[in-house]
Amino acid sequence: MSPLGIVLSFGLAAIAWEVFARSGMLPPAITPSVIAIGGAVGRMALDGSLFVHIAYTMFRIIVGLVLALLVGVPIGMLMGRFRRVESFVLPLVSVLSPIPSLAWVPLFILWFGLGNAASIALVLYAATFPVILNTWTGVKSVNRIWVRAAEAMGAGERAVFRRVVLPGSLAFVIAGLRQAFARAWIAVVGGEMIAATSWGLGWVIFDSKEYLNTDVMLGSLFVIGVLGLGIERVVFLMLEHRTVGRWGMVKTVQT
Amino acid sequence: MYSRGVWTTLRHALASAAGTAAPFVTVALLWQAFAMFGPFPPKLFPGVDKVVTTFVRLIVSGILPAHALSTLLRLAVAFALGALVGVTVGMLMGRSRWAERLLLPIVSVGNPIPGLAYAPLFVIWFGLGNLPAILLVAFAAAFPIAVNTWSGVRAVKEIWIRAAQSMGAQERQLFRSVVLPGALPYVLTGLRLGLARAWRVLVAVEMLTAVGFGLGWLIFGAREFLNTDVMLAGLATIGLVGLVLEKLVFERLEQYTVVRWGMLTR
Repeated sequence: MSPLGIVLSFGLAAIAWEVFARSGMLPPAITPSVIAIGGAVGRMALDGSLFVHIAYTMFRIIVGLVLALLVGVPIGMLMGRFRRVESFVLPLVSVLSPIPSLAWVPLFILWFGLGNAASIALVLYAATFPVILNTWTGVKSVNRIWVRAAEAMGAGERAVFRRVVLPGSLAFVIAGLRQAFARAWIAVVGGEMIAATSWGLGWVIFDSKEYLNTDVMLGSLFVIGVLGLGIERVVFLMLEHRTVGRWGMVKTVQT
Repeated sequence: MYSRGVWTTLRHALASAAGTAAPFVTVALLWQAFAMFGPFPPKLFPGVDKVVTTFVRLIVSGILPAHALSTLLRLAVAFALGALVGVTVGMLMGRSRWAERLLLPIVSVGNPIPGLAYAPLFVIWFGLGNLPAILLVAFAAAFPIAVNTWSGVRAVKEIWIRAAQSMGAQERQLFRSVVLPGALPYVLTGLRLGLARAWRVLVAVEMLTAVGFGLGWLIFGAREFLNTDVMLAGLATIGLVGLVLEKLVFERLEQYTVVRWGMLTR
C-alpha cells in the first residue's frame, strides 16, 4: 500500500460519499457531508472530549487485557504441560468460547452494575479464550528436541520452563494477545453502548443517536477504525519485532 | 472372546463419556455452591436446577426453538449476502491491480471497526426490525471474507496460471479451473471467520434493533423482568448453536472440498 494509493482510495471514497450525501436521496440530517464529519471530529478534539473518550475506552480495554493475560496464560501453560488439565479445560473452553461476549452484557449489568466493571468483565470474557487457546498451542508446539537438549544438559523442571518453554511459546502467546485485542475491541465498543456509562467511544456513538448527531457518530466510527488499525499495526508488530522476531523465531515485516 | 470385546468397548465409551462430563459436572457443582452461599440473591444468580428447569420448560413450550429459529434464519440470509459481497470484492481485489489499490485501504480500515458500532447508524438509516439487523450482519461478515479471498487469490501459484495459459486456457476457464479452486482454502477460512463474526454481531444487534424474535432479544427482554434463569438458558442455547455451527457445518465443508483435494491435511 503506497501512501499515494491510500490518499487516492480515501479521496475517492470521500467524494462518492459526498455525492451521495448531497444528492438528497436521504435527508441531510442522517447523511452528513464529509466536511461536517471532519468538523465534528475537530470539535471533539478541540474541546478535549475526544481524548477523554479514548482514554476511558483504552483504560477498560487495557485492564481487561491484562486480567485476561493473568488468567489465560497460566491456564494455557498448565494445559500444555499436563494432560489432565487439558482434558478438563478444553471441553469447557470449546463450549464457552462460541458464546458472543456481548450476549453476556445484560447479565453482567445485573451482576456488576452499569459502568466500568461490566465493560472490563466483558473485555476479560472476550479476550481470555484466544489467550488460553494460543498459549496452549504454543506450549504444545515447543520443539521436543529443545526440551530434551536442555534436560540432557541438566536443566531442572523450572529452568526448562523459564528458559525453553516460555520463550519457545511466546510467538503464539503474542498472536493470541493480538486476536484477543481484536475481540476485546469489538466487545468494549458494544459493551459501552449497552452498559451505558458516561464516557467511551462506544457510548458517544450511542448517545449521539438520541440527538441525531450523525456527524459525531460517523466521526467516532472513523476514530475507532483508525485507532484499532493503528494499535494492531504499530503496537503488536513492534512487540513481535522486539521479542520473537529478534530471536529469529518468526519473520516479521517492519511496516 | 467376542463379548469381552463388547464390554471393553463399552467400558471405554463410558470412560470417555465420563471424562467429557467431568468438567461440566464440576463447574455445575461450583455454580450451585456459589448460587447457594455466594453474595448474590437467588433472583440474580439462579442455581443450576432453576436454569435447567427453565431451559426444559422453554423448549417444551416452543419459545426457545422459535427464538433460535428466527435467529438462524436471519443468520443464514445475512451470511449469504455477506459472503456474496465479500467473495466478489476479494476476487476483484486479487485479480485487478486497480481494484486492489482502491479497495484495500478501505477494507483494511473497515475491518477492525466493530460491526456493532454501526448499529445506531443503521437504525437511523433503515429503521428498526429485521432490515438493519440483516444488513449490519452482512456488512460485518463481508470484511474478513474479502480479506481472505484476496490473499487466497494472491496465493495461487504463478506457475499454475502460466501452465494453464500455455495449455490454451481462456480467462474464464483460468478463473474457474485454476484460481477459484486454488484460492478455496483461504476463502473457506474467510467464510469461517465471517460466520463467527456474523454470529457474534447478530446476537448483539438483536438487542439493539428490537426484532420481535431472536436469542439476543430473548436475553435482553428477560433482563427487564430480572428473569436471570431465562437469560442463562438463552446463553446456553447460544453456546450450543455456535458450537454446532463450527463443528458440523465448517469441518464438514472442509472435509468435502480442500482436504479431499489434498490441499490441506487434517
